[in-house]
Amino acid sequence: MAKQYKVVHCTVNGKEIEQVVDVRSSLTDMLRNDLHLTSVKKGCEVGECGACTVIINGEGFNSCIYLAVWAEGKEIWTLEGLTGPGGELSDIQQAFVDEGAIQCGFCTPGFIMTSWEIVNSGREYTDDELRKALSGHLCRCTGYENIFRAVKKTMLRHLGKYEEAELVNSQGITEYPEPMPFK
Amino acid sequence: MATKLILAKTPAEAVDAKTSSAAFIAGGTEVNRLGSDIAGEADVLISLKKCGALKSIERDAGYVTVGSMCTFQQIVESEWIPAYLKEAALFMASRTKRNMATIAGNIAANRSDSYLIPALTVAGAVIELCRKSGETVRVGIQEYLENKESYGNDLIVSVTVPEDIRLVSKRYANTAQSHAVLTMSAALTEEGIYMAGGVKNVGQLHFCDLEKAFNEDPDISEEAIIKMVRDCTGLHTEDDMFGSDAYKRYLIAVTAFDLHRKLKGKEV
Repeated sequence: MAKQYKVVHCTVNGKEIEQVVDVRSSLTDMLRNDLHLTSVKKGCEVGECGACTVIINGEGFNSCIYLAVWAEGKEIWTLEGLTGPGGELSDIQQAFVDEGAIQCGFCTPGFIMTSWEIVNSGREYTDDELRKALSGHLCRCTGYENIFRAVKKTMLRHLGKYEEAELVNSQGITEYPEPMPFK
Repeated sequence: MATKLILAKTPAEAVDAKTSSAAFIAGGTEVNRLGSDIAGEADVLISLKKCGALKSIERDAGYVTVGSMCTFQQIVESEWIPAYLKEAALFMASRTKRNMATIAGNIAANRSDSYLIPALTVAGAVIELCRKSGETVRVGIQEYLENKESYGNDLIVSVTVPEDIRLVSKRYANTAQSHAVLTMSAALTEEGIYMAGGVKNVGQLHFCDLEKAFNEDPDISEEAIIKMVRDCTGLHTEDDMFGSDAYKRYLIAVTAFDLHRKLKGKEV
């Protein structure tokens, strides 16, 4: 059976690319195999684990169930695009390191892409909303609390709430100091 | 296995390309996933992503018409969508998946653990279909699902649901990401209680006997409902990895009882 190919034009991590793909290829396949962006992980391939998450036109998508041909004209960001020119980590990546939100690291790129979308939304999520926003990702190592804390602290810092970010305890709860007793 | 992909720009173009060996692909969450039966059986996939006309949400005279290509996330974010439909859309826990999955894709896939079908069924949703002849027809969701083969070459254009209806839903799964063993909805209409649900590996069911029992005796006991479902010969649940036959029957009964109480405004 003859395969059908198509040329896809899109922007990946700020660079314009032109790539010939099999029309059945997933975006994960194109990013990993053709563009060698291996931060995009192949996990479940059914859209459940979130390890393949990339940002397309500002929104998070499971690239494993997204056809490469649908990327025509789109702006795509993967984890590789978040680091600085000298390999400096972005603030959300650094927060994952600082909070010990990484163990085996397989789920980490996907988590960071969704977190990036969250922290750049300019919105203050409640703890409940934040947990729900991250619920499209599975992590079998960390138990989620450290990841949650890293995202929450970075979100607060992006909103200029530096002091509040320092009050987030190990359970991810913001612990406000007791008010001084009135005399 | 599909080797050809058609990127349709209009619904008419998509319907024109549809044959018995072709499949529509909307959001892609069902067709593109590993091990998908749909992708395995079709020779040609017809992508609807470029059909911009199918992405609108309109509101008119107490009804909301949702374009077939509206994603779950659009449903969650739209101020016009009734709360019961948002609740059903949020059963899909993953936001990244909600950005892709579409309302019509979820209906057409007709999975036994569908997120939306039970709520849409009890809400009396009406589906607009585009046919090869160019005409459009409107059918009830139940009629569409029961006679899906006869609508196989038609394309869902929109789904219309009432805004003001008392409707509650419940979904049971081991985790937010797991396949649900039961997704059930109940609505209170002028004719009485209306109940429907999807049981994993069984299919979408309309619980007529339960409706009758609740309509005849609104104060029926939980024990009576449990016994009724346990002894029901028309329900073909089986032991599988999602639970035993007895467990599924018990779950259907207690969920029906709880949903009925919720509809009546009582504590569950």
